[in-house]
Amino acid sequence: MRGLHQLDRSAAIVGTAALGVLAMVPVLFPGNYLIGVLTVAAIYGIWAVSWDFMCGLTGRENFGHALFIGVGAYAAGFMNVQLGWGPWWSLPIAMVLSTAFALLLGFPTLRLRGPYFALAMLSAAVIMQRLMLIFWEYTGGEEGIQDITPLIRNHLHYYWFVLLLLGVITFVLSWLARSRWGLILRAIRGDEATCLAAGIPITRYKIISLVISAALAGLGGALYAHYQLQVSPQLFSIITSITIITMVYVGGMGSIYGPVGGALLLTLLTEGLRDVGEWRLMVYSVLLILIIFFLPNGFIAPLWQRLRATLRGRP
Amino acid sequence: MSQMLLEVEGLDKRFGGLHAVKQLSLQVAKGEIVGILGPNGAGKTTLFNLLTQFIAPDAGRIVFKGHSLRGLKPHRVVALGVARTFQLCRPFPGLSVLENVLVGSLGPRVHHPDLVERAMHLLEQVGLSSKADTAAELLSYGDQRRLEIARALATEPELLLLDEPFAGLGSAEIEAISALIRQLHAEKQLTILLIEHKLREFMQLVSRVIVLDFGEQIADGTPQQVVENPRVIEAYIGKQGAMP
Repeated sequence: MRGLHQLDRSAAIVGTAALGVLAMVPVLFPGNYLIGVLTVAAIYGIWAVSWDFMCGLTGRENFGHALFIGVGAYAAGFMNVQLGWGPWWSLPIAMVLSTAFALLLGFPTLRLRGPYFALAMLSAAVIMQRLMLIFWEYTGGEEGIQDITPLIRNHLHYYWFVLLLLGVITFVLSWLARSRWGLILRAIRGDEATCLAAGIPITRYKIISLVISAALAGLGGALYAHYQLQVSPQLFSIITSITIITMVYVGGMGSIYGPVGGALLLTLLTEGLRDVGEWRLMVYSVLLILIIFFLPNGFIAPLWQRLRATLRGRP
Repeated sequence: MSQMLLEVEGLDKRFGGLHAVKQLSLQVAKGEIVGILGPNGAGKTTLFNLLTQFIAPDAGRIVFKGHSLRGLKPHRVVALGVARTFQLCRPFPGLSVLENVLVGSLGPRVHHPDLVERAMHLLEQVGLSSKADTAAELLSYGDQRRLEIARALATEPELLLLDEPFAGLGSAEIEAISALIRQLHAEKQLTILLIEHKLREFMQLVSRVIVLDFGEQIADGTPQQVVENPRVIEAYIGKQGAMP
Protein backbone atom coordinates (compact mmCIF):
# COMPACT_ATOMS: atom_id res chain seq x y z
CA MET A 1 0.00 0.00 0.00
CA ARG A 2 1.53 3.26 -1.10
CA GLY A 3 1.43 6.49 0.75
CA LEU A 4 0.70 7.61 4.26
CA HIS A 5 -2.58 8.17 6.10
CA GLN A 6 -4.46 5.87 3.81
CA LEU A 7 -7.45 4.20 5.33
CA ASP A 8 -8.12 0.64 4.37
CA ARG A 9 -11.75 1.20 3.30
CA SER A 10 -12.75 -2.41 2.91
CA ALA A 11 -11.33 -3.23 6.36
CA ALA A 12 -13.20 -0.27 7.87
CA ILE A 13 -16.47 -1.41 6.30
CA VAL A 14 -16.01 -5.03 7.35
CA GLY A 15 -14.96 -3.93 10.85
CA THR A 16 -18.03 -1.73 11.26
CA ALA A 17 -20.26 -4.52 10.00
CA ALA A 18 -18.67 -6.99 12.41
CA LEU A 19 -19.27 -4.59 15.31
CA GLY A 20 -22.88 -4.20 14.17
CA VAL A 21 -23.37 -7.96 14.17
CA LEU A 22 -21.75 -8.25 17.61
CA ALA A 23 -24.04 -5.51 18.92
CA MET A 24 -27.10 -7.36 17.61
CA VAL A 25 -26.18 -10.83 18.92
CA PRO A 26 -27.58 -10.32 22.45
CA VAL A 27 -30.74 -8.73 21.01
CA LEU A 28 -31.37 -11.81 18.91
CA PHE A 29 -30.35 -14.24 21.66
CA PRO A 30 -31.27 -12.52 24.92
CA GLY A 31 -29.71 -13.57 28.18
CA ASN A 32 -27.41 -12.01 30.76
CA TYR A 33 -24.88 -14.84 30.48
CA LEU A 34 -24.23 -14.16 26.81
CA ILE A 35 -24.07 -10.40 27.38
CA GLY A 36 -21.51 -11.01 30.13
CA VAL A 37 -19.31 -13.19 27.93
CA LEU A 38 -19.44 -10.68 25.09
CA THR A 39 -18.67 -7.74 27.40
CA VAL A 40 -15.58 -9.52 28.73
CA ALA A 41 -14.61 -10.43 25.15
CA ALA A 42 -14.84 -6.78 24.10
CA ILE A 43 -12.72 -5.69 27.10
CA TYR A 44 -10.11 -8.31 26.20
CA GLY A 45 -10.29 -6.86 22.70
CA ILE A 46 -9.28 -3.45 24.08
CA TRP A 47 -6.40 -5.04 26.03
CA ALA A 48 -5.17 -7.03 23.05
CA VAL A 49 -5.34 -4.14 20.60
CA SER A 50 -3.55 -1.83 23.06
CA TRP A 51 -0.77 -4.43 23.49
CA ASP A 52 -0.44 -4.83 19.74
CA PHE A 53 -0.12 -1.10 19.08
CA MET A 54 3.08 -0.80 21.11
CA CYS A 55 4.51 -4.30 21.09
CA GLY A 56 3.24 -5.76 17.84
CA LEU A 57 4.44 -2.79 15.83
CA THR A 58 7.80 -2.15 17.55
CA GLY A 59 8.53 -5.79 18.40
CA ARG A 60 9.36 -4.84 22.01
CA GLU A 61 7.27 -7.40 23.84
CA ASN A 62 5.59 -6.46 27.06
CA PHE A 63 5.17 -9.44 29.39
CA GLY A 64 3.37 -7.43 32.04
CA HIS A 65 0.45 -5.74 30.32
CA ALA A 66 -1.54 -6.89 33.36
CA LEU A 67 0.26 -4.14 35.29
CA PHE A 68 -1.61 -1.42 33.41
CA ILE A 69 -4.85 -3.39 33.52
CA GLY A 70 -4.57 -3.92 37.27
CA VAL A 71 -3.61 -0.31 37.93
CA GLY A 72 -6.62 0.87 35.92
CA ALA A 73 -8.99 -1.54 37.66
CA TYR A 74 -7.71 -0.79 41.17
CA ALA A 75 -7.78 2.94 40.47
CA ALA A 76 -11.44 2.56 39.54
CA GLY A 77 -12.22 0.43 42.59
CA PHE A 78 -10.31 2.59 45.05
CA MET A 79 -11.71 5.91 43.82
CA ASN A 80 -15.23 4.54 43.66
CA VAL A 81 -15.45 2.55 46.88
CA GLN A 82 -12.85 3.98 49.30
CA LEU A 83 -13.16 7.62 48.25
CA GLY A 84 -16.76 7.50 47.06
CA TRP A 85 -16.15 9.22 43.74
CA GLY A 86 -18.70 8.88 40.95
CA PRO A 87 -18.03 5.91 38.66
CA TRP A 88 -17.37 8.01 35.55
CA TRP A 89 -14.29 9.49 37.20
CA SER A 90 -12.74 6.03 37.00
CA LEU A 91 -12.11 6.14 33.28
CA PRO A 92 -9.89 9.25 33.09
CA ILE A 93 -8.15 8.50 36.40
CA ALA A 94 -7.37 4.91 35.35
CA MET A 95 -5.83 6.23 32.15
CA VAL A 96 -3.74 8.86 33.94
CA LEU A 97 -2.42 6.39 36.53
CA SER A 98 -1.50 3.70 34.02
CA THR A 99 0.22 6.40 31.95
CA ALA A 100 2.28 7.31 35.02
CA PHE A 101 3.36 3.67 35.39
CA ALA A 102 4.22 3.51 31.69
CA LEU A 103 6.51 6.55 32.02
CA LEU A 104 8.08 5.20 35.21
CA LEU A 105 8.96 1.86 33.58
CA GLY A 106 9.44 2.99 29.99
CA PHE A 107 11.99 5.75 30.60
CA PRO A 108 14.72 3.60 32.13
CA THR A 109 14.13 0.42 30.11
CA LEU A 110 13.06 1.41 26.59
CA ARG A 111 16.30 3.23 25.87
CA LEU A 112 18.17 -0.04 26.35
CA ARG A 113 18.35 -2.87 23.90
CA GLY A 114 17.87 -6.40 25.09
CA PRO A 115 15.25 -7.95 27.33
CA TYR A 116 15.17 -5.22 30.00
CA PHE A 117 11.79 -3.80 29.04
CA ALA A 118 10.11 -7.21 28.86
CA LEU A 119 11.64 -8.26 32.20
CA ALA A 120 10.87 -4.98 33.94
CA MET A 121 7.23 -5.19 32.89
CA LEU A 122 6.99 -8.81 33.97
CA SER A 123 8.44 -8.17 37.41
CA ALA A 124 6.58 -4.90 37.95
CA ALA A 125 3.28 -6.71 37.47
CA VAL A 126 4.32 -9.44 39.93
CA ILE A 127 5.47 -6.84 42.46
CA MET A 128 2.18 -4.94 42.17
CA GLN A 129 0.27 -8.16 42.76
CA ARG A 130 2.25 -8.68 46.01
CA LEU A 131 1.78 -5.04 47.02
CA MET A 132 -1.98 -5.44 46.72
CA LEU A 133 -1.72 -8.14 49.41
CA ILE A 134 0.75 -6.26 51.63
CA PHE A 135 -1.30 -3.06 51.70
CA TRP A 136 -4.52 -4.93 52.36
CA GLU A 137 -5.97 -2.07 54.46
CA TYR A 138 -6.35 -0.06 51.29
CA THR A 139 -6.66 -2.73 48.63
CA GLY A 140 -8.71 -5.36 50.43
CA GLY A 141 -5.91 -7.93 50.21
CA GLU A 142 -6.86 -11.28 48.74
CA GLU A 143 -10.53 -10.32 48.63
CA GLY A 144 -9.87 -7.14 46.68
CA ILE A 145 -12.36 -4.30 46.55
CA GLN A 146 -16.04 -5.19 46.44
CA ASP A 147 -19.27 -3.30 45.75
CA ILE A 148 -18.09 -1.09 42.92
CA THR A 149 -20.88 0.96 41.36
CA PRO A 150 -21.71 0.09 37.76
CA LEU A 151 -21.17 2.76 35.11
CA ILE A 152 -24.38 1.83 33.31
CA ARG A 153 -26.94 -0.33 35.11
CA ASN A 154 -28.46 -1.94 32.05
CA HIS A 155 -26.17 -4.82 31.06
CA LEU A 156 -27.01 -4.62 27.38
CA HIS A 157 -26.37 -0.88 27.28
CA TYR A 158 -23.04 -1.33 29.09
CA TYR A 159 -22.05 -3.99 26.55
CA TRP A 160 -22.88 -1.59 23.72
CA PHE A 161 -20.85 1.14 25.43
CA VAL A 162 -17.80 -1.15 25.74
CA LEU A 163 -18.23 -2.36 22.17
CA LEU A 164 -18.41 1.23 20.92
CA LEU A 165 -15.18 2.09 22.77
CA LEU A 166 -13.51 -1.01 21.30
CA GLY A 167 -14.61 0.09 17.82
CA VAL A 168 -13.35 3.65 18.24
CA ILE A 169 -10.03 2.51 19.75
CA THR A 170 -9.45 -0.06 17.00
CA PHE A 171 -10.30 2.48 14.31
CA VAL A 172 -7.99 5.15 15.73
CA LEU A 173 -5.09 2.73 16.33
CA SER A 174 -5.46 1.23 12.83
CA TRP A 175 -5.33 4.72 11.40
CA LEU A 176 -2.26 5.57 13.48
CA ALA A 177 -0.59 2.29 12.45
CA ARG A 178 -1.00 3.22 8.80
CA SER A 179 0.25 6.76 9.32
CA ARG A 180 3.87 7.92 9.53
CA TRP A 181 3.71 7.02 13.22
CA GLY A 182 3.06 3.36 12.40
CA LEU A 183 5.73 3.37 9.73
CA ILE A 184 8.28 4.59 12.27
CA LEU A 185 7.20 1.95 14.79
CA ARG A 186 7.59 -0.79 12.17
CA ALA A 187 10.99 0.63 11.25
CA ILE A 188 12.00 0.48 14.93
CA ARG A 189 10.97 -3.16 14.91
CA GLY A 190 13.25 -3.67 11.90
CA ASP A 191 16.47 -1.99 13.02
CA GLU A 192 16.97 0.61 15.72
CA ALA A 193 20.42 1.74 14.53
CA THR A 194 19.12 2.38 11.02
CA CYS A 195 16.30 4.42 12.55
CA LEU A 196 18.85 6.59 14.32
CA ALA A 197 20.76 6.97 11.04
CA ALA A 198 17.48 8.06 9.48
CA GLY A 199 17.17 10.78 12.13
CA ILE A 200 14.34 9.17 14.11
CA PRO A 201 14.31 9.78 17.90
CA ILE A 202 13.44 6.16 18.64
CA THR A 203 13.24 6.32 22.44
CA ARG A 204 10.64 9.08 22.26
CA TYR A 205 8.50 7.07 19.83
CA LYS A 206 8.72 3.94 21.93
CA ILE A 207 7.80 5.73 25.16
CA ILE A 208 4.84 7.60 23.66
CA SER A 209 3.58 4.37 22.10
CA LEU A 210 3.86 2.62 25.45
CA VAL A 211 1.94 5.47 27.06
CA ILE A 212 -0.89 5.11 24.51
CA SER A 213 -0.86 1.35 25.02
CA ALA A 214 -0.90 1.69 28.82
CA ALA A 215 -3.61 4.32 28.93
CA LEU A 216 -5.94 2.14 26.84
CA ALA A 217 -5.13 -0.95 28.92
CA GLY A 218 -5.90 1.08 32.06
CA LEU A 219 -9.17 2.20 30.51
CA GLY A 220 -9.99 -1.44 29.82
CA GLY A 221 -9.10 -2.24 33.44
CA ALA A 222 -11.57 0.36 34.71
CA LEU A 223 -14.27 -0.94 32.35
CA TYR A 224 -13.62 -4.43 33.69
CA ALA A 225 -13.83 -3.25 37.32
CA HIS A 226 -17.18 -1.59 36.65
CA TYR A 227 -18.46 -4.72 34.96
CA GLN A 228 -17.30 -7.26 37.59
CA LEU A 229 -18.15 -4.72 40.34
CA GLN A 230 -15.09 -5.97 42.21
CA VAL A 231 -11.33 -6.13 41.67
CA SER A 232 -8.83 -8.69 42.95
CA PRO A 233 -5.02 -9.12 42.82
CA GLN A 234 -5.50 -11.83 40.17
CA LEU A 235 -5.81 -9.01 37.65
CA PHE A 236 -2.06 -8.40 37.90
CA SER A 237 -1.22 -12.04 37.35
CA ILE A 238 1.07 -13.30 34.63
CA ILE A 239 -1.89 -15.36 33.37
CA THR A 240 -3.66 -12.16 32.34
CA SER A 241 -0.59 -10.95 30.43
CA ILE A 242 -0.01 -14.29 28.72
CA THR A 243 -3.67 -14.57 27.77
CA ILE A 244 -3.45 -11.19 26.02
CA ILE A 245 -0.23 -12.07 24.21
CA THR A 246 -1.83 -15.33 23.05
CA MET A 247 -4.79 -13.38 21.69
CA VAL A 248 -2.45 -11.09 19.76
CA TYR A 249 -0.48 -14.01 18.31
CA VAL A 250 -3.68 -15.80 17.30
CA GLY A 251 -4.98 -12.63 15.69
CA GLY A 252 -1.78 -11.67 13.91
CA MET A 253 0.86 -9.52 15.55
CA GLY A 254 1.11 -5.94 14.29
CA SER A 255 -2.15 -6.00 12.36
CA ILE A 256 -4.21 -4.14 15.04
CA TYR A 257 -7.58 -5.55 13.91
CA GLY A 258 -6.33 -9.16 14.08
CA PRO A 259 -5.83 -9.15 17.87
CA VAL A 260 -9.41 -7.90 18.34
CA GLY A 261 -10.58 -10.97 16.44
CA GLY A 262 -8.16 -13.11 18.44
CA ALA A 263 -9.57 -11.74 21.71
CA LEU A 264 -13.16 -12.43 20.70
CA LEU A 265 -12.32 -15.92 19.45
CA LEU A 266 -10.30 -16.94 22.50
CA THR A 267 -12.75 -15.48 25.03
CA LEU A 268 -15.54 -17.52 23.48
CA LEU A 269 -13.23 -20.53 23.39
CA THR A 270 -12.43 -20.02 27.09
CA GLU A 271 -16.14 -20.15 27.85
CA GLY A 272 -16.24 -23.44 25.98
CA LEU A 273 -13.26 -24.65 28.06
CA ARG A 274 -14.87 -23.76 31.41
CA ASP A 275 -15.04 -27.43 32.33
CA VAL A 276 -11.26 -27.96 32.11
CA GLY A 277 -10.79 -25.17 34.68
CA GLU A 278 -7.18 -25.19 35.88
CA TRP A 279 -6.00 -26.72 32.61
CA ARG A 280 -6.96 -23.56 30.75
CA LEU A 281 -3.46 -22.06 30.88
CA MET A 282 -2.03 -25.28 29.52
CA VAL A 283 -4.53 -25.33 26.67
CA TYR A 284 -3.60 -21.72 25.97
CA SER A 285 0.11 -22.50 25.99
CA VAL A 286 -0.29 -25.45 23.65
CA LEU A 287 -2.38 -23.26 21.34
CA LEU A 288 0.30 -20.58 21.41
CA ILE A 289 3.07 -23.07 20.62
CA LEU A 290 1.07 -24.57 17.76
CA ILE A 291 0.32 -21.16 16.28
CA ILE A 292 3.91 -19.91 16.52
CA PHE A 293 5.03 -23.17 14.95
CA PHE A 294 2.54 -23.52 12.12
CA LEU A 295 1.11 -20.02 11.68
CA PRO A 296 3.84 -17.53 12.65
CA ASN A 297 1.76 -14.64 11.29
CA GLY A 298 -1.28 -15.61 13.31
CA PHE A 299 -4.67 -16.74 12.20
CA ILE A 300 -7.16 -13.89 11.83
CA ALA A 301 -5.11 -11.29 9.92
CA PRO A 302 -3.72 -13.70 7.27
CA LEU A 303 -7.20 -15.21 6.86
CA TRP A 304 -8.67 -11.77 6.17
CA GLN A 305 -5.86 -10.86 3.77
CA ARG A 306 -6.36 -14.05 1.80
CA LEU A 307 -10.12 -13.53 1.75
CA ARG A 308 -9.70 -10.01 0.44
CA ALA A 309 -7.23 -11.08 -2.22
CA THR A 310 -9.68 -13.76 -3.39
CA LEU A 311 -12.53 -11.25 -3.52
CA ARG A 312 -10.40 -8.78 -5.49
CA GLY A 313 -9.31 -11.50 -7.88
CA ARG A 314 -12.93 -12.20 -8.77
CA PRO A 315 -14.71 -8.87 -9.20
CA MET B 1 40.19 27.18 3.31
CA SER B 2 38.36 29.23 5.94
CA GLN B 3 34.88 27.96 5.05
CA MET B 4 35.13 24.48 6.52
CA LEU B 5 32.02 22.33 6.65
CA LEU B 6 33.48 19.84 9.11
CA GLU B 7 36.34 20.44 11.52
CA VAL B 8 37.67 17.70 13.75
CA GLU B 9 40.39 18.35 16.29
CA GLY B 10 42.12 16.03 18.70
CA LEU B 11 39.51 13.29 18.38
CA ASP B 12 40.32 10.37 20.65
CA LYS B 13 38.70 7.06 21.50
CA ARG B 14 39.84 4.04 23.47
CA PHE B 15 38.04 0.71 23.77
CA GLY B 16 39.65 -0.77 26.86
CA GLY B 17 43.27 -1.40 25.88
CA LEU B 18 42.69 -0.60 22.22
CA HIS B 19 43.45 2.96 21.21
CA ALA B 20 41.08 3.04 18.22
CA VAL B 21 41.39 6.69 17.27
CA LYS B 22 44.39 8.76 18.35
CA GLN B 23 44.37 12.57 18.45
CA LEU B 24 42.83 12.74 15.02
CA SER B 25 42.36 16.12 13.32
CA LEU B 26 40.87 16.69 9.89
CA GLN B 27 38.97 19.28 7.94
CA VAL B 28 36.51 18.92 5.12
CA ALA B 29 35.50 21.87 2.91
CA LYS B 30 32.05 22.24 1.39
CA GLY B 31 31.70 20.31 -1.86
CA GLU B 32 34.71 18.04 -1.40
CA ILE B 33 34.74 14.28 -1.89
CA VAL B 34 37.24 13.03 0.67
CA GLY B 35 38.32 9.42 0.95
CA ILE B 36 39.33 7.73 4.18
CA LEU B 37 41.83 5.01 3.50
CA GLY B 38 43.56 2.61 5.81
CA PRO B 39 44.27 -1.04 6.51
CA ASN B 40 41.76 -3.14 8.44
CA GLY B 41 41.42 -1.99 12.01
CA ALA B 42 42.82 1.47 11.27
CA GLY B 43 39.78 3.08 12.92
CA LYS B 44 37.88 4.19 9.84
CA THR B 45 34.44 2.96 10.84
CA THR B 46 35.07 4.06 14.41
CA LEU B 47 35.77 7.54 13.02
CA PHE B 48 32.34 7.51 11.33
CA ASN B 49 30.69 6.25 14.50
CA LEU B 50 32.34 9.06 16.45
CA LEU B 51 31.41 11.74 13.90
CA THR B 52 27.75 10.65 13.94
CA GLN B 53 27.75 10.16 17.73
CA PHE B 54 26.79 6.50 17.50
CA ILE B 55 29.79 6.18 19.83
CA ALA B 56 30.76 8.95 22.23
CA PRO B 57 34.35 10.20 21.80
CA ASP B 58 36.68 10.36 24.84
CA ALA B 59 38.15 13.69 23.80
CA GLY B 60 38.26 16.14 20.94
CA ARG B 61 36.18 18.61 19.05
CA ILE B 62 33.74 17.89 16.18
CA VAL B 63 32.31 21.01 14.62
CA PHE B 64 29.85 20.85 11.73
CA LYS B 65 28.77 24.22 10.26
CA GLY B 66 29.64 25.91 13.53
CA HIS B 67 27.66 23.42 15.67
CA SER B 68 29.53 21.15 18.03
CA LEU B 69 28.31 17.59 17.51
CA ARG B 70 29.78 16.16 20.70
CA GLY B 71 27.22 14.90 23.16
CA LEU B 72 24.35 15.07 20.69
CA LYS B 73 22.06 12.08 20.17
CA PRO B 74 22.66 10.39 16.78
CA HIS B 75 19.27 11.52 15.48
CA ARG B 76 20.15 15.15 16.32
CA VAL B 77 23.31 14.84 14.24
CA VAL B 78 21.15 13.72 11.31
CA ALA B 79 18.85 16.68 11.96
CA LEU B 80 21.83 19.03 11.52
CA GLY B 81 22.55 17.52 8.09
CA VAL B 82 25.01 14.66 8.52
CA ALA B 83 23.80 11.33 7.12
CA ARG B 84 25.56 7.99 7.05
CA THR B 85 25.32 4.57 5.49
CA PHE B 86 26.44 1.35 7.11
CA GLN B 87 29.20 -0.97 5.99
CA LEU B 88 26.79 -3.89 6.17
CA CYS B 89 23.54 -2.92 4.47
CA ARG B 90 20.77 -2.57 7.00
CA PRO B 91 17.48 -2.06 5.22
CA PHE B 92 14.38 -2.26 7.42
CA PRO B 93 13.08 -5.81 7.08
CA GLY B 94 9.34 -6.07 6.50
CA LEU B 95 9.19 -2.64 4.92
CA SER B 96 8.99 -2.00 1.19
CA VAL B 97 11.79 -0.20 -0.66
CA LEU B 98 9.62 2.92 -0.82
CA GLU B 99 8.83 2.75 2.90
CA ASN B 100 12.53 2.39 3.69
CA VAL B 101 13.19 5.70 1.96
CA LEU B 102 10.11 7.30 3.53
CA VAL B 103 11.43 6.57 7.02
CA GLY B 104 14.48 8.65 6.16
CA SER B 105 12.27 11.61 5.32
CA LEU B 106 10.31 11.61 8.58
CA GLY B 107 12.94 13.53 10.51
CA PRO B 108 12.74 17.25 11.26
CA ARG B 109 14.85 18.43 8.29
CA VAL B 110 12.47 17.50 5.54
CA HIS B 111 9.62 19.84 4.66
CA HIS B 112 8.02 18.55 1.52
CA PRO B 113 4.27 18.50 0.86
CA ASP B 114 4.35 15.05 -0.72
CA LEU B 115 6.84 12.75 0.96
CA VAL B 116 5.85 9.78 -1.22
CA GLU B 117 6.52 11.73 -4.41
CA ARG B 118 9.85 12.89 -2.99
CA ALA B 119 10.80 9.33 -2.03
CA MET B 120 9.89 8.10 -5.51
CA HIS B 121 12.08 10.81 -6.99
CA LEU B 122 15.01 9.67 -4.82
CA LEU B 123 14.42 6.07 -5.90
CA GLU B 124 14.53 7.23 -9.51
CA GLN B 125 17.84 8.96 -8.86
CA VAL B 126 19.44 5.83 -7.47
CA GLY B 127 17.78 3.64 -10.11
CA LEU B 128 15.38 1.71 -7.89
CA SER B 129 12.02 3.19 -8.89
CA SER B 130 10.86 -0.02 -10.55
CA LYS B 131 11.35 -1.88 -7.27
CA ALA B 132 9.53 0.58 -5.01
CA ASP B 133 7.02 -1.98 -3.74
CA THR B 134 9.49 -4.84 -3.31
CA ALA B 135 10.30 -5.97 0.23
CA ALA B 136 13.68 -4.39 1.00
CA GLU B 137 15.31 -7.60 2.24
CA LEU B 138 14.67 -9.26 -1.14
CA LEU B 139 16.87 -6.78 -3.02
CA SER B 140 20.23 -7.84 -4.46
CA TYR B 141 23.29 -6.66 -2.56
CA GLY B 142 24.01 -3.91 -5.09
CA ASP B 143 20.42 -2.69 -4.90
CA GLN B 144 20.58 -2.71 -1.10
CA ARG B 145 23.59 -0.37 -1.40
CA ARG B 146 21.54 1.94 -3.61
CA LEU B 147 18.68 1.79 -1.12
CA GLU B 148 21.10 2.55 1.71
CA ILE B 149 22.23 5.68 -0.18
CA ALA B 150 18.65 6.68 -1.03
CA ARG B 151 17.63 6.40 2.61
CA ALA B 152 20.57 8.56 3.67
CA LEU B 153 19.71 11.10 0.96
CA ALA B 154 16.11 11.18 2.15
CA THR B 155 17.28 12.93 5.32
CA GLU B 156 18.45 15.83 3.11
CA PRO B 157 22.08 15.78 4.23
CA GLU B 158 24.79 18.32 3.51
CA LEU B 159 27.49 15.88 4.49
CA LEU B 160 27.15 12.25 3.48
CA LEU B 161 29.30 9.58 5.12
CA LEU B 162 29.56 6.43 3.03
CA ASP B 163 31.04 3.44 4.81
CA GLU B 164 32.50 1.11 2.15
CA PRO B 165 29.87 1.67 -0.52
CA PHE B 166 31.57 -0.85 -2.82
CA ALA B 167 31.92 -3.66 -0.32
CA GLY B 168 30.77 -6.99 -1.72
CA LEU B 169 29.95 -5.61 -5.17
CA GLY B 170 31.02 -6.77 -8.63
CA SER B 171 32.83 -4.44 -11.02
CA ALA B 172 29.70 -3.47 -12.99
CA GLU B 173 27.90 -2.53 -9.80
CA ILE B 174 30.96 -0.64 -8.52
CA GLU B 175 30.94 1.34 -11.75
CA ALA B 176 27.25 2.14 -11.31
CA ILE B 177 27.57 3.19 -7.66
CA SER B 178 30.63 5.33 -8.52
CA ALA B 179 28.62 7.07 -11.22
CA LEU B 180 25.79 7.59 -8.75
CA ILE B 181 28.12 9.16 -6.19
CA ARG B 182 29.61 11.47 -8.83
CA GLN B 183 26.17 12.45 -10.04
CA LEU B 184 24.94 13.22 -6.52
CA HIS B 185 28.02 15.29 -5.89
CA ALA B 186 27.51 17.25 -9.08
CA GLU B 187 23.74 17.74 -8.73
CA LYS B 188 23.37 18.46 -5.06
CA GLN B 189 26.81 19.93 -4.26
CA LEU B 190 26.88 17.25 -1.62
CA THR B 191 30.00 16.97 0.50
CA ILE B 192 30.98 13.33 0.73
CA LEU B 193 33.32 11.47 3.05
CA LEU B 194 33.85 7.86 2.11
CA ILE B 195 35.67 4.85 3.43
CA GLU B 196 36.89 2.35 0.91
CA HIS B 197 39.30 -0.48 0.18
CA LYS B 198 38.88 -0.81 -3.57
CA LEU B 199 41.79 1.43 -4.48
CA ARG B 200 41.36 2.04 -8.18
CA GLU B 201 37.71 3.18 -8.21
CA PHE B 202 38.26 5.04 -5.02
CA MET B 203 41.20 7.06 -6.29
CA GLN B 204 39.25 8.11 -9.37
CA LEU B 205 36.31 9.25 -7.28
CA VAL B 206 37.86 11.38 -4.54
CA SER B 207 39.59 14.74 -4.65
CA ARG B 208 41.51 14.19 -1.43
CA VAL B 209 42.53 11.21 0.67
CA ILE B 210 43.12 10.96 4.41
CA VAL B 211 45.02 7.83 5.41
CA LEU B 212 44.64 6.26 8.86
CA ASP B 213 46.82 3.63 10.45
CA PHE B 214 46.31 2.35 14.00
CA GLY B 215 43.90 5.20 14.66
CA GLU B 216 46.36 7.86 13.60
CA GLN B 217 46.37 10.08 10.54
CA ILE B 218 49.51 9.29 8.53
CA ALA B 219 48.77 11.19 5.32
CA ASP B 220 46.44 13.81 3.86
CA GLY B 221 46.65 14.86 0.21
CA THR B 222 45.60 14.25 -3.36
CA PRO B 223 45.31 10.59 -4.41
CA GLN B 224 48.61 10.93 -6.33
CA GLN B 225 50.49 12.39 -3.33
CA VAL B 226 49.11 9.78 -1.01
CA VAL B 227 50.10 6.72 -3.03
CA GLU B 228 53.64 8.05 -3.26
CA ASN B 229 53.84 8.80 0.46
CA PRO B 230 56.40 6.43 2.06
CA ARG B 231 54.42 6.15 5.31
CA VAL B 232 51.35 4.99 3.38
CA ILE B 233 53.38 2.44 1.43
CA GLU B 234 54.86 1.25 4.71
CA ALA B 235 51.43 0.88 6.31
CA TYR B 236 50.11 -1.11 3.38
CA ILE B 237 53.13 -3.15 2.27
CA GLY B 238 55.48 -3.05 5.24
CA LYS B 239 58.87 -1.41 5.85
CA GLN B 240 61.31 -1.31 2.94
CA GLY B 241 63.93 -3.92 3.44
CA ALA B 242 61.79 -5.82 5.86
CA MET B 243 60.54 -7.90 2.99
CA PRO B 244 62.79 -10.59 1.57
